[in-house]
Amino acid sequence: MREKIIGMDLGTTNSCVAVLEGGAPEVITNTEGERVTASVVAFTDTGERLVGRLAKRQAITNPKHTVASIKREMGTDHRVKIELDGKVEEYTPEQISAMIIQKLKKDAEEHLGGKVKKAVITVPAYFNDSQRQATKDAGKIAGLEVMRIINEPTAAALAYGLDKIEEQTILVFDLGGGTFDVSILEIGEGVFEVVATDGDTRLGGDDFDRRITDWLVEEFRKDTGIDLTSDPSAMQRLKDAAEAAKMELSSRKETTINLPYITADATGPKHLEKKLTRAKFEQMIEDYLNRTINVVEATLHEAGKSADDIDQVILVGGSTRIPKVQELISSRIPGKINREINPDEVVAAGAAIQGGVLAGEVDEIVLLDVTPLTLAIETLGEIATPLIERNTTIPTEKTKTFTTAADNQPSVEIHVLQGERKMAADNKSLGKFQLTGLPPAPRGIPQIDVTFNIDADGILHVTAKDKATAKSASITIKDSSRLDESEIERMRREAEEHSEEDKKKAEEIEVRNQADQLVYSVEKTLLDLGEKVTQDKRGEIEDHLRRLKEKLSQNANMEEIRQAMESLSKSSQQLAEEAYKQAASQKEEPSDASKGDDDEGNGDYIDAEYDDK
Amino acid sequence: MVDEKKETRDVTEEVKEKMQGVEAEGQELPTKDGLLLEKEEEIRSYVDRLKRLQAEFENYKKRVLHEMANLEERISDREILYFLPLYDNLQRAFTSFSGNNDAQSFIEGIEQIFAQFDEILKQKGVSPIEAVGNLFDPAKHEALLSVESDKERNEILEEFERGYICNGRVLRPSKVKVSKGKTETEEEKT
Repeated sequence: MREKIIGMDLGTTNSCVAVLEGGAPEVITNTEGERVTASVVAFTDTGERLVGRLAKRQAITNPKHTVASIKREMGTDHRVKIELDGKVEEYTPEQISAMIIQKLKKDAEEHLGGKVKKAVITVPAYFNDSQRQATKDAGKIAGLEVMRIINEPTAAALAYGLDKIEEQTILVFDLGGGTFDVSILEIGEGVFEVVATDGDTRLGGDDFDRRITDWLVEEFRKDTGIDLTSDPSAMQRLKDAAEAAKMELSSRKETTINLPYITADATGPKHLEKKLTRAKFEQMIEDYLNRTINVVEATLHEAGKSADDIDQVILVGGSTRIPKVQELISSRIPGKINREINPDEVVAAGAAIQGGVLAGEVDEIVLLDVTPLTLAIETLGEIATPLIERNTTIPTEKTKTFTTAADNQPSVEIHVLQGERKMAADNKSLGKFQLTGLPPAPRGIPQIDVTFNIDADGILHVTAKDKATAKSASITIKDSSRLDESEIERMRREAEEHSEEDKKKAEEIEVRNQADQLVYSVEKTLLDLGEKVTQDKRGEIEDHLRRLKEKLSQNANMEEIRQAMESLSKSSQQLAEEAYKQAASQKEEPSDASKGDDDEGNGDYIDAEYDDK
Repeated sequence: MVDEKKETRDVTEEVKEKMQGVEAEGQELPTKDGLLLEKEEEIRSYVDRLKRLQAEFENYKKRVLHEMANLEERISDREILYFLPLYDNLQRAFTSFSGNNDAQSFIEGIEQIFAQFDEILKQKGVSPIEAVGNLFDPAKHEALLSVESDKERNEILEEFERGYICNGRVLRPSKVKVSKGKTETEEEKT
């Protein structure tokens, strides 16, 4: 196997390591089971060295020998002094960084099952030469050959595959735990140029947590007169709850912070219960958010660009999940945000891609396209039934078996569709053809295999083949994946907008199809049983049948159809039971294969009826 | 040298003869172009197979991701089922209490539910992490506070929140108060 070059995002608060596997970057989980590792190093009394979460946990007992945020000191003369057994050891920032790198390296080796010797490491775009050299040296101390130092925003752009697109100007908005960076990049022919970068090295998600914690302390003081700040246990619970609430508010409009028995006074235990709305949270951090937007303004100004010049905005860092952050960026640079990749991992992923390129691994990978939209055929009730889902890598082939909707149907029409909507008419029609010459058979009996085969060039071959006669027909569609971006985007957006109503419509058709099937099978049972059904029973069932048919033809609402179906099922269920009883008494009577199939069909719907009860 | 040349000529002639012979028999020797076409076709089919295999792998990866997400949901559902009886019983306890206002029986009920909870955790292999009196270990404990005390340095003095371990893995570390010891404090004073 080719030698792997890993990609490292060496962050101020957290670090992340990834590697290219099968052409795609994979984030490596550390031995503690986390996808990111805290950039904290500690030296314990026993001389043990801890990195990551464990170092963080013991920081309070060992503050003098615990080092956090060493990245801020890279390239300076800063020395970390560690006193152990009366001896003082001095460490350079490079050496401390090397300890973090070593931990990431070890985790990567565990994951890959072999030695790792080479890496690509990322640095902020504003790092100067000595800071970059220091980072490179840190890698060397950790026993790695640093193949390249790349800018964090460049790595993010690589992760999004932007190097493959012609000339573009992108803005990378990176809001991490404790630092904030904005960079504007110009990309052309695989060359990345940082044209402007700005930021705030003391701004991030931790500040937002603190605002929530402060608010909780203040509210509790108002409610109970008790100051929680002197109670470390209560404060820890508040901090944890604040972070959880912040995260929750990224997907919900409101959250409840519930901390029972948070403290006690002479009157007994005290509980904390507070509702926090997204709006209130946004108000709390408004000044921070305004600062980020001011930095965006300043960076644009420095680059001599206007919002219109920006082709894409890439989000990096966990705090960019906050809806208000995205909203603010959108209001300044509308419609350009790209946030498909996990913002905590995007930089490491990009570094891994750079590693793959340097290792020559990327050249070996044949770049394959994906189908931008779902490919489907039209089925009973004008439903679009998907064969190849969108985002499927091509070349690919899928076969599904379909059947007829009417007795003795002589042909079927295969209508090929493209799009995400549930109803055929709302999708783009790519073409249609007929498969004719089907031998007469009851509906549901013929088996017609429909195969969609897309070759590497995106050419779609659709074949329909009747299993019984081996007759087949086909069509070739040349431009199934050659839609332009805006058209794809429009179709996706429409599907999203209409997803609710489409779903309802599809459900309605499903009910209608079921009703139709019920009518068909009850009528068939009546016919099959013939004289065996009493006149009274037959009359009753035919009554129900007529009513359901009326409802279907009158376009009645779903509830009415459902009710009519239910009463028909109920009365005909006894009919089926009766028929089974008779069948049982006349057992051992041989039945032909097609009969058996029919029985199965009836059995199906009876089962469904039992499920209802 | 001369011999060699002669031999070459001989071979060429031999081939010519053979070719004539073959043609006479009505067969055709594969031409260069023909071979090339054949090889091209072979390569085309290999490349197609490679691409299809790779596409299949990519689609497989996508499917695995999708299935993992489904699996996660199903596991979560299953775990919720374990805890619903507790929720039910708590509701019963409150309903009963609001009916009879009997604090004694309410407490008994809660104790019962607590025991039930204990049982579930035991079944799942969850056990508490020992803390107070033990030496601080960042693999199992998280220090919230560090104070001077008569106890040995790094001994855990108080547990703020219990930690749990499940089949050897730390679910949540204990949140504790740790002794700074005495010596260090004295040093600091001097």
